[in-house]
Amino acid sequence: MNLDRLRANIRVVGYAFVMTLKQNVIDGFIIFTILIQPLIIALLALWMMDDQAASHAIFIVVGSGLTGLWSSLLFISGNSINVERWIGTLEFMVAMPTSITTIIFGKNLAHVSQSLISMLLSYFLASIIFDLPLTIARPGLFLLSLLLTIVAFVSFGLIIAPIFVMNPGVQGWQNAMEFPVYILSGFLFPIALLPGWTTPVSYVLAPYWAAKALHGASSGESSPDSILIDLGILIMFSTVYILISRRLFKAMLHKTRVDATLGLQ
Amino acid sequence: MNRPLVQNVRLFIDGALLSYIALFRWLRPAAYLASKVIMPLNQILFFTLLGMYATGRDNASFYVIGNALQLTAVSGIYGVTMSVGGDRWDGTLPYLFGTPANRAALFLGRAFFHILDGMLGVVLGFFWGVVLLGLDLSHTSLPTLGLIVLVTTLSSSGLGLLMGCLSLITRNIMFINNTVYFLLLIFSGANIPLDSLPLWMQSFAQGLPLTRGIAAARAVIAGQTVHDVVPLLGGELLIAVVYTSLGYALFRWFEHQAKMRGTLEAI
Repeated sequence: MNLDRLRANIRVVGYAFVMTLKQNVIDGFIIFTILIQPLIIALLALWMMDDQAASHAIFIVVGSGLTGLWSSLLFISGNSINVERWIGTLEFMVAMPTSITTIIFGKNLAHVSQSLISMLLSYFLASIIFDLPLTIARPGLFLLSLLLTIVAFVSFGLIIAPIFVMNPGVQGWQNAMEFPVYILSGFLFPIALLPGWTTPVSYVLAPYWAAKALHGASSGESSPDSILIDLGILIMFSTVYILISRRLFKAMLHKTRVDATLGLQ
Repeated sequence: MNRPLVQNVRLFIDGALLSYIALFRWLRPAAYLASKVIMPLNQILFFTLLGMYATGRDNASFYVIGNALQLTAVSGIYGVTMSVGGDRWDGTLPYLFGTPANRAALFLGRAFFHILDGMLGVVLGFFWGVVLLGLDLSHTSLPTLGLIVLVTTLSSSGLGLLMGCLSLITRNIMFINNTVYFLLLIFSGANIPLDSLPLWMQSFAQGLPLTRGIAAARAVIAGQTVHDVVPLLGGELLIAVVYTSLGYALFRWFEHQAKMRGTLEAI
């Protein structure tokens, strides 16, 4: 890829990012998903923990923020191509010289980045309203974990968006896919509470490694080496997701350009 | 038998059936399975596991019962709201307001199948609780529990009817539905003992559906009799009547306003 092309793609990602943010601030469903729901989950968890809330505060803040990230990825990034189909712009997008993957990457980056607000809000809720002590034990590693979590979630979004647009039947299961990831990824309680047979399922979920790294870095309970291993696995997953997404986007473009059937589904 | 009564009963049944079929045509078996079977199971599991992590394994049944009863709100809030608001979204509201049909039969019919559906959801929730989370129903009077489920479903459907009217004047009804549903997870006592909430929240919770129903279900499952929970059941039923009446009054007022101002399509 030459430098001009790279610059052009970055510009497209930037425009898609800004445009998506502007559209999202007036969308009630998105506001609920990234602000209200994680905040209510944080409130619930803080009250449920009762006298243990102080010692678990940072765990709850990070965990409820992750629920916002996952729900946003599932419902908003998952529909990032479908939305174009619903408003009739998908055909124009695939006919453009700019790769649709680049545009969807920019959109997903906006969705995932904005959902970090949920973590920030939970932080203020626990800190200001509940007056709980909140400290991040390894801030450097926490920031690195957050950055790689965004990359992994955006990459995952590049898989589910074309799957949802090509298979409306799978999209029908969206509602059923929200809580299992909260549970299996250990967002708000350790997966040790679950039966042993579910552990391998957790291990193949990138959100599990993201949660493990973020919880480990924020609480300081994981050693730096352990966190770096988690992040290495997260990078591996991101790479695999991007490779798979290339194939999925190719199949989707074929359906649109050659079969001309995508918009009719 | 007087003729208007027969007509209204027929209108109620036909309206209930047709509105359910017409407005939920999207609800294919897979979507139903995902939204009404798997999602509720996941929700019960999530909050029960969170509760077990927070307060210990011995308290699992507290969360199972609370979240199983909370499932009435899935049909009560989402289903009923979509049934009432569906006419606006599908463009059939002007025809509905143009008919001479009895409004009460029309309005209440919208909730009928969701009440049955909601009860089925709670039964399924208890089934998951028994099979997967060790909920013990050996001391429970099942007819009393059934009565509690019916009354609680009525009250959450009453809230749904009220919110359904809001869907006639706002485009953001799903935002309101989602927020109310999640707030009920806090205020109804499904996941937090009410006495651990601030006083103003406890008072607010007393005016909401589910609160007394969940408390009654917990009492009956612990071995209490129907006589012990009569005050709670009476309170829950009163809530059902109040919310349904408010919803109906609002529905009639919106119809009147829409006709007077010619804002039927604009609301």
